Amino acid sequence: MTLLKTYIIPRILQWALVIFIGVTLTFLIPRLSPINPVEQAVSRLTAFQTLSPEATIALRESLEDLYGLKGSLFDQYIAFWKRVLSGDLGPSFSSFPMSVNAMIANGIWWSIGLLGTAVVLSWVLGIFLGTLAGYFPNRLWTRVMESIVIVVYPVPYFIIAFTLLMLFAYYLPIFPLVGGASGTPSFSLGYFGSILRHSFLPAISVIIGATAFRFLMAKALTTSERTSDYVTYAEIAALPKRKILGVFIIRNTMLPQVTDLALSLGAIFEGALITEIVFSYPGIGSTLYNGIISADYNLIMGITLLSIIGVATASLLVDLTYPLFDPRVRLR
Amino acid sequence: MGNLVEVENLRAYYITQAYGVKRTVRAVDGISMTIREGEIYGIAGESGCGKSTLLRVLMAAHKPPLTVVEGTVKYVFGEMVVNALEMSEQEISDLRWKEISYVPQGSMHVLNPVRRIQDQFHDFISAHRQVSKRESREMTRKYLTELGLPESVLTAYPHQLSGGMRQRVTIALATILWPRLIFVDEPTTALDVVVQRGVIQLLKDVQEREGSTIVLITHDLGVHANLAERIAVLYAGQIVEEADARTILKTPRHPYTHYLIHSLPDLDERVERESIPGRPPALDNPPSGCRFHPRCPLAIEKCKNLEPQMVYLNSNHRVACHLVTEEIGLVHDAEKR
Ligand SMILES: Nc1ncnc2c1ncn2[C@@H]1O[C@H](COP(=O)(O)OP(=O)(O)O)[C@@H](O)[C@H]1O
Ligand code: SF4
Ligand SMILES: [Mg+2]
Repeated sequence: MTLLKTYIIPRILQWALVIFIGVTLTFLIPRLSPINPVEQAVSRLTAFQTLSPEATIALRESLEDLYGLKGSLFDQYIAFWKRVLSGDLGPSFSSFPMSVNAMIANGIWWSIGLLGTAVVLSWVLGIFLGTLAGYFPNRLWTRVMESIVIVVYPVPYFIIAFTLLMLFAYYLPIFPLVGGASGTPSFSLGYFGSILRHSFLPAISVIIGATAFRFLMAKALTTSERTSDYVTYAEIAALPKRKILGVFIIRNTMLPQVTDLALSLGAIFEGALITEIVFSYPGIGSTLYNGIISADYNLIMGITLLSIIGVATASLLVDLTYPLFDPRVRLR
Repeated sequence: MGNLVEVENLRAYYITQAYGVKRTVRAVDGISMTIREGEIYGIAGESGCGKSTLLRVLMAAHKPPLTVVEGTVKYVFGEMVVNALEMSEQEISDLRWKEISYVPQGSMHVLNPVRRIQDQFHDFISAHRQVSKRESREMTRKYLTELGLPESVLTAYPHQLSGGMRQRVTIALATILWPRLIFVDEPTTALDVVVQRGVIQLLKDVQEREGSTIVLITHDLGVHANLAERIAVLYAGQIVEEADARTILKTPRHPYTHYLIHSLPDLDERVERESIPGRPPALDNPPSGCRFHPRCPLAIEKCKNLEPQMVYLNSNHRVACHLVTEEIGLVHDAEKR
């Protein structure tokens, strides 16, 4: 009962506050942009034909109405909240009359599929290798892996991504240059294979850096566990190495790793941006990019909102489930 | 009672090399001692004099940079004599917990924080015995009850136990397989007096039950007074005096022992503690002659350059101090006359 009052409820309130601020900022920031989407649409429409001034005014008004840009800033804000709460993010400006919901739905599964898989794979791989490296610091393969990681880790992401793209899609055209898949969507082996072929390079580009990061984190955590009093004691008591590694070291290093995995998954939509632009991958990052260059307010707001909710919810879930993993938090 | 551990001229140094500078800390420097079966053997001395290091070598748990440069440690198990410093990893594992066990210094953090007590007991028991989880649980429950620990600790996590309870659980964890020889390092440090009493009683109980031999390290002579049958006083990696507890506490001969005893807080009389002047020496460059001479108020000229020899006042009492040597010499001279 006290746990509910002192921990769970405050944490949920905090989550709600973060979302509230996020929604407000999402509403304000595009309106500070110098690009006016209504003027843009009007000039697009009037580029090839002349409209009478009355027609232009009428057009402008109906566009403002449609885009939710009517009335004072405060009226717009209230209207914005109404739409957010009803889950209707309005129409896209750039792909009118498609709704923002539909555009997000088109991209989101590509992003989750690509980046979710890459994040989870690098998490598993990095922890596996990093833990072994931390537990056996003097082995040859530990030093080899460590040297590779130390070289790879500081390389900026876009350099890795462009290098892979140039090498394996351009000079050696093993993998496709653009897109998420080719052929008509179906549940066939061929289409599935095409998805894998298209996602391979972007996934690898993310996995390299993420694995290097996870490796370093796992190695550091393992090193400090390995020299802890309870591991030293278990070693003196001649417990089997397998048990020490599993029950004494990994059980303890997993706590921060699980937390960090959840946060990385929550942050997928941010990570999607560069990867998907470089590899022309049809996910939500590309959608966002297109939205930004065409000043598609509703689309930008929709995706930003999704990203904020993703991160806030992931960290809420981490905090609420942490007591299940760590007995020290459980009964304080 | 026969001997259980025989230590001869043991030297163990921390040898480190950083940036091309070699550093040698002579933490154990020429120690000989015999530990008898069934006794509680106390090792006293200020912090930093090499007590924990000695213990680590005595139970063959030393790792680089700690290196044994000279001497032997032998376990006498009935007919079998084991050379402790030449055992293989497998032989060491076979002895641990079943024959030789250990309660480490700073027991506060030696329990795995994410494991319930009964599961940790299972981890330790199953490393040396073929037991099912149910059997180890039953063993643990029975043993803790015998030692007077509440059953509720079984399902607790370490952080839910008080410091004293954690220490007692650790002692139980170290002794559940009835080892012959138990090394205990500073069991009462950081515990308040009432809790200390409980821990001392527990060690007594454990020892009486199976007649185990306990090697007890603590800088606290009050604890030694309660438990130890014989006491060795360590200074700067060497034994300066050894005798039965009563002699050490009532009629010590070495000036350093004297100081140690008088720095004991007296609970009844609340007399001012007489603290030892100066600090213990750095062991990478110990003083010449008698290592205690820079702090010794009784030092004479030869203390500076000449190392005092260990002399036996009787078969149980030995001291290394020039003053004592000279006094005996005088007695001898008087007898001659
Ligand atoms: N890992 C180490 N490397 C170098 N010197 C050490 C190490 N551990 C302990 N020492 C030194 O060895 C000496 C004895 O330490 P220790 O055995 O812990 O003393 P005590 O247990 O009596 O307090 C001290 O001077 C200490 O600084
Ligand atoms: S040998 Fe000299 S310096 Fe050392 S304790 Fe005895 S009197 Fe003091
Ligand atoms: Mg110590």
